[in-house]
Amino acid sequence: MTSRGTPSRFLQSVLRNGLGRYVCQLKRLTLVFSKEARSSHGAREFIEENIVDFAKQNPSIVMYVAPQKCSHPKLIAEYLNGAVKEEQINRKTGEEIVQLVQKLANQSGLDIIRIRKLYHTDSPSIQGQWHPFINKPTSLNVKDRKS
Amino acid sequence: TLFRSPVKLPDAREEAIHHAEVVQRINNLIANGQFGRLFAVIHFASRQWKVTNEDLILSHADIDAKCGDKIRLEKVLLVGGDDFTLIGKPLLDRDHVRVEATVIEKTESCPKIHMRFWKRHRYQRKRIIVHPQTLLRINTIDRKST
Repeated sequence: MTSRGTPSRFLQSVLRNGLGRYVCQLKRLTLVFSKEARSSHGAREFIEENIVDFAKQNPSIVMYVAPQKCSHPKLIAEYLNGAVKEEQINRKTGEEIVQLVQKLANQSGLDIIRIRKLYHTDSPSIQGQWHPFINKPTSLNVKDRKS
Repeated sequence: TLFRSPVKLPDAREEAIHHAEVVQRINNLIANGQFGRLFAVIHFASRQWKVTNEDLILSHADIDAKCGDKIRLEKVLLVGGDDFTLIGKPLLDRDHVRVEATVIEKTESCPKIHMRFWKRHRYQRKRIIVHPQTLLRINTIDRKST
């Protein structure tokens, strides 16, 4: 499907993020994995080695670790604007999961669809928007009355 | 053209005096800080952007800065306000303008499908392309650098 067939949106940020202060948009990260299955090996490696460092570097993200009986481990990311993203980490290595988690932390919860314009301004014109009568003599506006 | 009568050029000396007056007035304005919102034309990520305070820019590139870092955009080609414009040849001096931005988001683009298909030849190839994206918020454009 091309750009016309898929949804699109304009460039925006969540609640004017960079203006006053930058706020990390990821609020909660839940790691669902199994204690014994082979597919959760990378998830277990991530928990043993990397999760505490990641949590210390990003104190605004709450991390939950949920060992359950599941064949496919997953990461559930919840964002400040209410968006929920599930990522499969089935048979991934610990390093791949580290990169994935960093990517999720860098995103805001806005949809990943085609963005129509690569810029957004609230004040598009400062010196005044051009119109064809700028810098033309005002005598053009004068009409003689034939009387 | 709409305006057809002959153009009268001004006298060279008067013109030079008038120009000097205008430049003096504008220098005073800038020195006193009597300007409002400024806009700038910036060269960033191999593109030129017309930029003011508080606006957003998306580039299809990975920057070394992390999310939340403040960046100074140095290649400024033009700065303008309501009453004056400063045009660089081609860039303006670093001491005259300061454009600061914050990195807000570093995502991936939506998946773009690159497909080739020849009919009646049993040939098709499909490739999904995803670029990195960096979203910047331009915080301030200052006329003087600190």
